[in-house]
Amino acid sequence: MNQPVAPRRAKLELLVRRDDQAFEVREIPSALAYLGSRPQRVTDEAYELAHLESRVAGQRNWILKNRDTDRFLLLSDPERFLWEQMDGSISLEEMATAYVLTYGEFDFEIIPNLIRKLQRAQLLTMTPTSRLRRVLARNRRRPAVKAIESVLVLLERATVSSRRVHPIFVRLYRWGGWLIFTPAAVVVALLLAVAGLVAGATVIKNADIFAAGFGEHPVAAVLAVKLLFFATVAAHQIVHGLALIHYGRRVREFGFTVLHGFIPTFYVDVTDVFMAPRRARVVTAVSGAAVHLVLGSLCFLLAVRSPQSFTQAFAAASGMVQWQAFVLALYPFCFMEMDGYHVLVDLLGVPTLKHDAVAYIRSLFRGGGLGRMNREKAMWLGYVALSTASIGAFIAFNVWLVFKAVS
Amino acid sequence: MSTATEIAEFLATAPLFQNVASANLEAFARRLREITLRRGEVLFRQDDAGEEMFVIHQGTMVVSKPITGNVEQVLARIGPGECFGEMGLFAHSPRSATLSAETETTLLVLDSDNLHRLTETNPEAAAAFFHALVLVFIERLRESGNLVAEVTRWGLEATGLDVEKTR
Repeated sequence: MNQPVAPRRAKLELLVRRDDQAFEVREIPSALAYLGSRPQRVTDEAYELAHLESRVAGQRNWILKNRDTDRFLLLSDPERFLWEQMDGSISLEEMATAYVLTYGEFDFEIIPNLIRKLQRAQLLTMTPTSRLRRVLARNRRRPAVKAIESVLVLLERATVSSRRVHPIFVRLYRWGGWLIFTPAAVVVALLLAVAGLVAGATVIKNADIFAAGFGEHPVAAVLAVKLLFFATVAAHQIVHGLALIHYGRRVREFGFTVLHGFIPTFYVDVTDVFMAPRRARVVTAVSGAAVHLVLGSLCFLLAVRSPQSFTQAFAAASGMVQWQAFVLALYPFCFMEMDGYHVLVDLLGVPTLKHDAVAYIRSLFRGGGLGRMNREKAMWLGYVALSTASIGAFIAFNVWLVFKAVS
Repeated sequence: MSTATEIAEFLATAPLFQNVASANLEAFARRLREITLRRGEVLFRQDDAGEEMFVIHQGTMVVSKPITGNVEQVLARIGPGECFGEMGLFAHSPRSATLSAETETTLLVLDSDNLHRLTETNPEAAAAFFHALVLVFIERLRESGNLVAEVTRWGLEATGLDVEKTR
């Protein structure tokens, strides 16, 4: 008897013309387009949402009404959560992540089913690309915009990844990776952090070591420090992957990409950790960042013990970059969704904190009043205020460091 | 530039001329003009006027239709021995798609004047050629049907629409 063959995913070939003399052909799989699409609900004036009191304990429902067609839909609480996300700025992939963070589980049918329901009720449209790309596409006639778009496309295509990495991570874990997750490793890391902090303070006091050590090779110095940092980003991601293995979860993908079209970085798919307890999620997030703490401390210790030389300046500069990376990765208030941010939203149970906070502040700038203050609004205001102040302080600290080094 | 003999040898390998007697191939070859396109060059765009058909001698051409802005959908890729542009030759209708060279490409051009002369002077060869052309049209129709089905499937998958559950 013949086994049914799974249908292959459909692909479209699109020809993108740069000018009359050049074009490129891109293959677009349907699955990619689906995950990247951003559902956009109708305008606020076109619908009404009301809470439906239920006598069944623990069950909350909502009634969604299309004011134009007078059509009503019954939404469950998770469906209402997804409806709130559908503002045209969040992709289906991000929505699924937010759902898992909120409900601790994922039903693969809930999003497609809700989309079908909303489309039938004429409450939703699907927007396939990012806002930046839409703006660039609209202004493509300008040579500068066209050039930016071409560079972004080229960089986005520079992604190299593999989905067959799980066995490699399992082997890495068996060959010594497990040591990272022992109490002894935590103690060593803490001792190193304290020693590194003391050494770092000594280095910052003697800022002239940079000018003296780098001397006439500042470009080589910057490149060397960047290169080391780039390698440690790979180590950061590998440790995230090892943490997954430690908790018996699966590493789905590892690769290199250019984030937002301009930040070259390595990445690891840790989504399977959502199926593990919160402790596992926190350890997975923190362990990757700890790579920078350990390396930064070692660099500072090397800088303190080295004679005045290129090596000393290199170690000192690398120590600073690594420590900054550690703080940046774990500090949640910087408008970036780094490891610390994911831990924070996990603890707060608010997966869309940044998105909601920024949307709230935007509405204030557009003339919307503060309204009656509640815990949610206070949290949004706190997040934006702390993030703005932190970024200001980060920039000021780096400017101060540069002035201190060159004066 | 290829000689008439070289072109005739090439035509003998092309499906479109397989039923044309080898003695007549050189007569065909003499009626064809050779042109070369650089990689990326557009031969013609959809809706352009044109009364020639083309046979690819070397290289690959991409057949596409405009979708939005600078983006076009690729309908087909055609290579050595395959032909295109026959609608312009027979119906004098505007080009139905855009044709661009994917690689450096050499084309053999047959215009309506030369086709008429060939039909008058060598009706047997012309009949074999027209028969092969009908087979090409049938194959193109089949491919168009497959493409419509593929595009529909892509749309359904990309929007997550489940037709079986949609009323």
